[in-house]
Amino acid sequence: MKLYTALTLAVLATLTSCGGNVNGGNRTVIQNKGSDTLVNVAQTWAEEYRKIHPDCAVAVSGGGSGTGIAAMINGTVDIANSSRVMKERELKMARDNGNNPVPFIVGYDALAVFVHKDNPIESITIEQLAAIYGEGGEITRWSQLGITVPGASGDEMVRVSRQNNSGTYAYFREAVLGREGNYKLGSLDMHGSKDVVELVMNTPSAIGYSGLAYATEHVKVVPVSIEGGAPVVPTVDSAGNGSYPIARPLFMYTVGEPEGAVKDYMDWILSDVGQQILLKKGYAPVGKL
Amino acid sequence: MSVKQHQITSFEAQPLDLKNRRNERLVRFFLGWVTMLLILPVLLILGVLIYKGSPALSWAFFTEMPRDGMTAGGILPALIGTLWLVGVALTAAVPLGIAAAIYLSEYAPDNMLTRIINLAIINLAGVPSIVHALFGLGAFVIFLKPLTGGTCILAASLTLAIMTLPVVIVSTRESLQAVPRQFREACWSLGATRWQTIRKVVLPNSISGILTGVIIQVSMTVGETAPIMYTGAVTYVAFLPESFTDETMALSLHLYNLAFVMQDVPESLPFGVALALVGVVLTLNSASIAFRMHLRGKKKW
Repeated sequence: MKLYTALTLAVLATLTSCGGNVNGGNRTVIQNKGSDTLVNVAQTWAEEYRKIHPDCAVAVSGGGSGTGIAAMINGTVDIANSSRVMKERELKMARDNGNNPVPFIVGYDALAVFVHKDNPIESITIEQLAAIYGEGGEITRWSQLGITVPGASGDEMVRVSRQNNSGTYAYFREAVLGREGNYKLGSLDMHGSKDVVELVMNTPSAIGYSGLAYATEHVKVVPVSIEGGAPVVPTVDSAGNGSYPIARPLFMYTVGEPEGAVKDYMDWILSDVGQQILLKKGYAPVGKL
Repeated sequence: MSVKQHQITSFEAQPLDLKNRRNERLVRFFLGWVTMLLILPVLLILGVLIYKGSPALSWAFFTEMPRDGMTAGGILPALIGTLWLVGVALTAAVPLGIAAAIYLSEYAPDNMLTRIINLAIINLAGVPSIVHALFGLGAFVIFLKPLTGGTCILAASLTLAIMTLPVVIVSTRESLQAVPRQFREACWSLGATRWQTIRKVVLPNSISGILTGVIIQVSMTVGETAPIMYTGAVTYVAFLPESFTDETMALSLHLYNLAFVMQDVPESLPFGVALALVGVVLTLNSASIAFRMHLRGKKKW
């Protein structure tokens, strides 16, 4: 009984003394949540930042761009990671709740198109991708691209896509299918970039997409061209200089103009040190290093 | 006459007896094997975990922070975080649950209201954990933000507490009702009040049963991922929680992230975390089982 009385008192004491971001031990907490594409970089940033700022705890969570943006709207996050821009509606909802999202481009990501290692395909055009993934698109079989995949159980293409709150999903739709475009039904929607790569690795007749950083030596990255142009291999360089047709900016949204610890953290992320970390994880840095 | 009697008593198996015996053996064999099969998943899981996970285990695994993009180093913040989550959840759920169970078992009259309360408890137990997660997000993270400060251990633990409350209530009520009525009557006849009887007679005699409920609650709480994912647990934070307004890592979510989200994670690492997770459950369980046996040893009936 005494134990519970003590605990209850402790609960009340802590609740009354703690408000906002700063906690008992005088350390600052930055809550950083969102894009699964960015989560690996965000985690490494948090890990490295601790080494130079031992009093600043950056708490990183994934869950998808949509999760981060929802948290931004609800005001439960300091920095939201997103691999797509926030929609007008989302911006308005956040502002109505008193959280004004300020975007920062922290890097660029090339969306790579993956096929199985044994797939002989040499390049693919945006138009072909649209016909494969888009609603009403005609390509459902590899033979329609003039390709026979060795080891595949059939000619049918296995389309691998993402769950619909993913920023990768949203950007691929925008860049390949057009703003009004919709995905064709019947794709396998995976809950993470890593899952896409693993499925394509194990399925000879599969085609999938995700951030270039998730590419492994076990899958084949297909060079992409716009009809009539030369196929471009997705690399950090071709993503950064805009020659690769499906490269996207990666965003971090802060609540209002950043100040204090959040500003220090954002400045550090955009500094050469922060950008080197991003580069090492397979993304293209903002500007020259 | 005596010969005839002998013939009757000496038993010769008839075809029907043989058939019955054969069927009996068959059923026994079948049921036995089905039961054996139930052990198989347990053995397989533990076997695979130990085989694949033990290379990752070391003293440093439990005392170090994760390093190099969570591909190396230990699980200290997740381990401590899980203990925090379980501790705060128990602190919230156990007193509440026991209080409710005492009322329901010792005081509540058998009327409509009591039956509705019982129905509510059973329904609460049937709510899927992801629904609890969304409820916790809405109630403790967003609505009670001025109090909890958004996502934090407190919000996550309260979500877990609500989820496990029915377990505590039901098991406590059962064990209170297992105390023979004569105990209470003897006590009342000496002039003790209801509350004195509960405190001095009923609770001491049912404590082992109550602890069983708590054990089940601990096992549930340690493993849950969905309810804490959106309420207080994070993928990575390089600090140990200092108060329950902090966010924290947790073993179950750490396992999910290592297995499905982070890149370049060595294969043994998720298995090591899974083994640690099972280890935490087993350790907490055996501690409370030992405590329970100690208490039961003192029981005089």
